[in-house]
Amino acid sequence: MELKKVLTLRTVVATSAGLTLSSSTFVAAVQVAGFLAGESAWLAILTGGLLCITAAFCFNELNGMMPTAAGIRLYFSRAFNDRLALIVSLLYMAVIIGVIGAESYVLSEILHEAFPVLPSMFWIMAMFTLVTGMNLIGIKIAGGFQDAITYGLIVSLIVLALVALNQINFHINAPFNTGGGLNFLNAVAVGVFLFVGFEWVTPLAEEVTHSRLISRGMLLAIGILSVTYALFTVAMTATVPKDVLVNSPIPHLIFARTILGNSGVAIMVLITLAASITTFNAGLISVSRFVYASARENVLPAMFSKISMRFFTPWVAIISVFITGVIVSSIVLITKRYLTLVNMAAAMESIIYVLAGVSVITLRKKLPGMQRPYQIPGGYWIPGICAAVFSLLTLAIFFSFPSVFIYLCIGAFISVIYVNQVVPELKRRSRAKKSANRRRRPVAQAEKAGE
Amino acid sequence: MATHHEITESLKAFQEGYNNNKKLKIMNRDWNRIILIEATDVDSKHTIILQDGEISITEGISKTPNLVVTSDSETLADLFYGDITPTEPYMNGTLVLKGSEDDIVRLDFISLMIWGE
Repeated sequence: MELKKVLTLRTVVATSAGLTLSSSTFVAAVQVAGFLAGESAWLAILTGGLLCITAAFCFNELNGMMPTAAGIRLYFSRAFNDRLALIVSLLYMAVIIGVIGAESYVLSEILHEAFPVLPSMFWIMAMFTLVTGMNLIGIKIAGGFQDAITYGLIVSLIVLALVALNQINFHINAPFNTGGGLNFLNAVAVGVFLFVGFEWVTPLAEEVTHSRLISRGMLLAIGILSVTYALFTVAMTATVPKDVLVNSPIPHLIFARTILGNSGVAIMVLITLAASITTFNAGLISVSRFVYASARENVLPAMFSKISMRFFTPWVAIISVFITGVIVSSIVLITKRYLTLVNMAAAMESIIYVLAGVSVITLRKKLPGMQRPYQIPGGYWIPGICAAVFSLLTLAIFFSFPSVFIYLCIGAFISVIYVNQVVPELKRRSRAKKSANRRRRPVAQAEKAGE
Repeated sequence: MATHHEITESLKAFQEGYNNNKKLKIMNRDWNRIILIEATDVDSKHTIILQDGEISITEGISKTPNLVVTSDSETLADLFYGDITPTEPYMNGTLVLKGSEDDIVRLDFISLMIWGE
């Protein structure tokens, strides 16, 4: 029997693109440009987008086989094993908290620049409190509002870029001058950050009016984002010297001020708020739901599964994410090492795409008979390319930013220890408690046996 | 393998647990949903109807569902008796929930409030 389905392609594209568009993507975009010698940032961004399309194909096949909000946790569990899936999921969620920290830092710097009377820490606290409050009460950004924000944002960015390019009578002089293969590789690797989260739209698979809409929506979102980022980055670097942009956490504000003065600042503050609110909210919801689900699964202590009797929301998980997020943001504010988090997210996302590609190949061999409503054409080529290219990009990030490699290794080590030592104990305790309170009476078993 | 009768009994236990929780009824006043429960290994289908905070359970399929819960009969019986949480079988793919993510989370909240951790 079919479900009641409501979401259309418009909302799927808006959700996929909206989760990706954030304030820190502008920071990543100028980092991409910073690696390259000429005006070839567009080339690196479009290449990054094209590569992400291979990952989107993999997610489409996996999601078609296992339509679930559990996402990578289930895909990797089936393809590899539950332990690995859990280790990767825990690490990924930790990195997402880092992204939220970087995002709140960038946004707070923007707001501090626009309203210098109030310190950045005030804005960090204000944003976290606002979004946490929304999550605690259970307020969600509605589909229509999400559509309006995302499409409005994309149009605004394109218009701003065109105004800037027109203002300086732009002519592209060195569109393919990358400054060397290694620079280009690094630029594409960091460029992956621009698309982080496009695949988070897959949990909507059961809510769309047609099953193919998720795959179409993801591909369209990546395409639209690639063009928008490419145009906007070229406009930023053509208008403001690259070294000024690269060394600032607020390059987009500097750009807007350069082309439109104070009104540019006002416009960019609005754009940044719109870009951040969806990512920020979605990030907090995803992480807090992950914490809640992990507690229900006895992967985290049971206290994290407490829910509010008034609002039906996992309040302990939400408050825990709030506290962790504020701590991470404060560390970023003190150390100013937001770029490390951006690069960590790019590396982690690349690792996820590698595993997604390998999962598709493994599952085709392991479960050849399983129904695949969507199968990537061309045999093993696309998942193979996805796994190989993103492996190379991950290595490029590790090579260029050794600290990212060290931090991820530390995170992975902690995650491995936790999954191997703590989780089995939590599960053992829960099993003991459950078997003592078992409700499914032997009567039923006896009935079955015909006694 | 559990029988159709066992699944019915587990759903009755779930219904009883729900009815004994007044807060749950109040909280679900505006959550009107039709949930189809389907076993994969025995011929067993049930429909849970939540309307204005009240729960009713019928055998078979009655209306177009908002949420479809599919699993083997053992898991379904254990699940609705509250002997296991839905999360573990959901995460390993034994339990398949088709519907909006918010509805899936809400159903888990209800199970938690009826049966505890």
